[in-house]
Amino acid sequence: MGQMSKDMTSSLSTRRLSRLAYGGIWSLPLPLWLAAFFLGPMILLIWLSFWDVKNFLLTPDFQLENWQKMLTAPYFWAAYLRTFVIAISAAALVSLIALPCSLAISFFLSVRARMVMLGLFVVPFFTSYLVRVYSWQIYLTENGIVMKLLAAIGIDSGSLLNTPLALMIGLVTLTLPLVIVIQSISMLSLDKTLIDAAYNLGCGPRRVLFATVLPAVRPGIVLGALFAFIFSFGDFVTATYLGGGKFTTMSILIADTVKSGQQWPRAAVVALMMIATLLITALASIAYAYRRT
Amino acid sequence: MNSLSEIKLARSVAPSELERPMSHAHISLRNIRKTYGDAVAVENLNLDIEEGKFVAIMGPSGCGKSTMLRMLAGLEDVTGGDIQREGQRINELSIWERDMPMVWQSLALFPFLTVRENVEFGLRMKGVGKAKRKTRALDWLQKLGLEGYADRGIDQLSGGQRQRVALARCLVTEPSVLLLDEPLSALDAHLSVQMQGELKRLQRELGITFVYVTHSHSEAFSMADTVVIMNQGRIEQAGGPEDIYLRPATPFVARFLGGSSIFDCKARRLKTGEMVLEGPDGRFKCTGSELADLDEGQQVSLIVRADQISVTAKAGWAENEVAARVVGEEFIGALVNLRLETAAGTAITVQLQQRDMQALDIEVGATVTASWHPEDGHIING
Amino acid sequence: MRVSALTRRLAVIFMGLALVFLYAPILTNFVFSLNSDRFPTIPLGGFTLEWYRLILADALVIDAFKNTIKIALIVAPIATAMGFAAAYADYRFNFIGKRLVLIFALMPPLIPLVVIGLAMLAYLSRIGLSGTLPAIVVSHIVLTSPFAMAIIRLRFSQIDGDLEFAAQNLGASNWRAFWEVIIPATKTSILAAFLLCMAVSFDEYAVTWFVGGLEETSSVRILSFLQSAVSPRINAIGSITFITSITLILGAQILVLRRLTRGNS
Repeated sequence: MGQMSKDMTSSLSTRRLSRLAYGGIWSLPLPLWLAAFFLGPMILLIWLSFWDVKNFLLTPDFQLENWQKMLTAPYFWAAYLRTFVIAISAAALVSLIALPCSLAISFFLSVRARMVMLGLFVVPFFTSYLVRVYSWQIYLTENGIVMKLLAAIGIDSGSLLNTPLALMIGLVTLTLPLVIVIQSISMLSLDKTLIDAAYNLGCGPRRVLFATVLPAVRPGIVLGALFAFIFSFGDFVTATYLGGGKFTTMSILIADTVKSGQQWPRAAVVALMMIATLLITALASIAYAYRRT
Repeated sequence: MNSLSEIKLARSVAPSELERPMSHAHISLRNIRKTYGDAVAVENLNLDIEEGKFVAIMGPSGCGKSTMLRMLAGLEDVTGGDIQREGQRINELSIWERDMPMVWQSLALFPFLTVRENVEFGLRMKGVGKAKRKTRALDWLQKLGLEGYADRGIDQLSGGQRQRVALARCLVTEPSVLLLDEPLSALDAHLSVQMQGELKRLQRELGITFVYVTHSHSEAFSMADTVVIMNQGRIEQAGGPEDIYLRPATPFVARFLGGSSIFDCKARRLKTGEMVLEGPDGRFKCTGSELADLDEGQQVSLIVRADQISVTAKAGWAENEVAARVVGEEFIGALVNLRLETAAGTAITVQLQQRDMQALDIEVGATVTASWHPEDGHIING
Repeated sequence: MRVSALTRRLAVIFMGLALVFLYAPILTNFVFSLNSDRFPTIPLGGFTLEWYRLILADALVIDAFKNTIKIALIVAPIATAMGFAAAYADYRFNFIGKRLVLIFALMPPLIPLVVIGLAMLAYLSRIGLSGTLPAIVVSHIVLTSPFAMAIIRLRFSQIDGDLEFAAQNLGASNWRAFWEVIIPATKTSILAAFLLCMAVSFDEYAVTWFVGGLEETSSVRILSFLQSAVSPRINAIGSITFITSITLILGAQILVLRRLTRGNS
């Protein structure tokens, strides 16, 4: 009897063990991979920001000099402010452009047309951003398509490249698909009876839009703007090729800092400041998006 | 509120099987305990399920009935206690080793397989040959009235047809136990009643043990040989449907089944030596053997079924009387459920014929007298 | 919404314009890749395949394309498998901190590319990987697996949670039930995720540029071209990359949407 119950417990534990193994096989690979090749680099980045550079050689150390240098440098704060303003403007502009599109997709199209349109908006997001920016360069450059078209109707525009407008065109190109998809998802999950109820209460179409639809899809609008901000904040392609290097963003600052004298620790400081900014913005936006009114 | 009439209606579909000879326990649950962290889902559960019986397990949601079924199927581990099948402990067997097919609440039919492939699935897992699989699957589809649907997809079937495919998928492996988890809850009332009759017929013809979890009184009472009523992870009462209906063991069971009035009372021995029950609603006489076992001052509940209470406009006619105000009435076919409330706040349900109701000529708000014969009161502890 | 036909029409027209805005750069790229003028503007010159001939004769470009395909073919299966495993684990098991792990797994695409590139380069050079194709593969898996996980998880959310247990209940072991139920139910989304991973790997330029050193992919090659001068050769490479990624993405979309619409009916 004693022997038997012992066998039972051991067979129970092997069963538990095999079940644990089955769970582990599925649960672990991605987290482990990300821990090794995503979390690892990020932690190294933090450590790196305290290292020293001696004779163009990185040496592990723990000193605050990099932080002091960067955080007191006027050019750092100029880049920070510039990047922030560009990203905020792009987020606002893209959200405004996306809104009518999302409304059209969610409320004014048949189910089939809606699927096709969403599909069409998604495609550009996954196609070479570099080449699309290059195309915009061709449009906006001196004697480019836009300038010639404008000249044909008697407007002398000059090159539009390296202007804030060019910058915004690039960032809208980058983020519009994503923002439209996020806004549309939140509008499509909106309870349609809410709208009918508002009409029933005698609200006009404008009241319905501003008092019912927009507040109800606020999380989608805020999250869309957040994503636009995140991607614009990290951008360097638009700033380089449509801004012509006039607009040094944080990402460009990182690349420049690395290039100039192996200043990796200082680049790490810039990178960490970017992550901190994005994290705070994300948390604040999410808190605002799901705030109870 | 109409459970009483439901039960009566349902019972005429399938009479009780109480007179079947007792056989040995097919499945036994011994001191089963199940906890999730600090939360206790099931505690001290003991149940013997006889071979070839239809056992319905019912209770309010969260009472542990589904957990119990999932433990039987091996979907959940027991925290303590033993599950036995023909005397053998089966705690350690994996889901796929238990051979207790289940009809799921969601049906869980495989959407990427045809009807026939769904039915063949269990046979294929057992290694039955292709030709034999097909014959047996088609055979069962025919038995369940699904001939001609073998090559359809699941999404081309109606709700009732899917139900049958789910049944065929389990029965084709010729199991000795079938587990059913609220299988009829998705069907409309008419279809559900029809399926109840079919399920009962199948179970009787095949002689398989059915363990059927439901929250529907009518399903449990119309089909089961044994009804188990659970509450907060414990079994409140297990027995034949007749028995439970006539003699609820606890106030919970009486309340859960509905259709009875419950009076809180204390036992009192009068100077004459007679034992009576006394409570906020007055003093009641009782016959019944339970009376002899009561001690002076013991707290009991007096249960009186709705069809055994009479209502009169005047008092002073019967031995057990209580004055009550009419608070509501529900018409169910030829019957009326009259809801009363006493001055002490006890709710009383009375079932009357429509014509008697008209003869009484009372309205909501009127005060009437409710009365019953001493032999109709049923005493339970607590 | 009940609004006037005019408002409706205006919104739909605006949406159409937004679509034109997004596709204009793609279309002009195709046009100028076939245009004989050295400087891309209107009016157009004649039709030519010269730019394609030039890039196909460029050893750097050919090597870059070879690398790109090699990398995508290694990255996509691994990233899809890992994304699938994570999505399945989320669907099937419950464990403490699951939400946190999920959020963590969705993070990589949200970190600025330059930041990831910098961190990856610092990290990979310390373990002696930087400047190699494996370095690119490793970082691409980090960047693409969240997409695979998301797209496959979406499919899992449509699958009846009892399905796998129903198979086990009928006698299928863990692994048997997995092959009999989970794989058939998710195979289209797995293929869609595979295509999406290929597309993302194909288009990635920033992190690749950081960790790849002298190893170039086609996107990095484009970046180098951009740094030098305006040339229709960029349009020619661009057309090839556009055709490739649009094909991959449309393929993925058709697979996902077919499931979605069938699920609704």
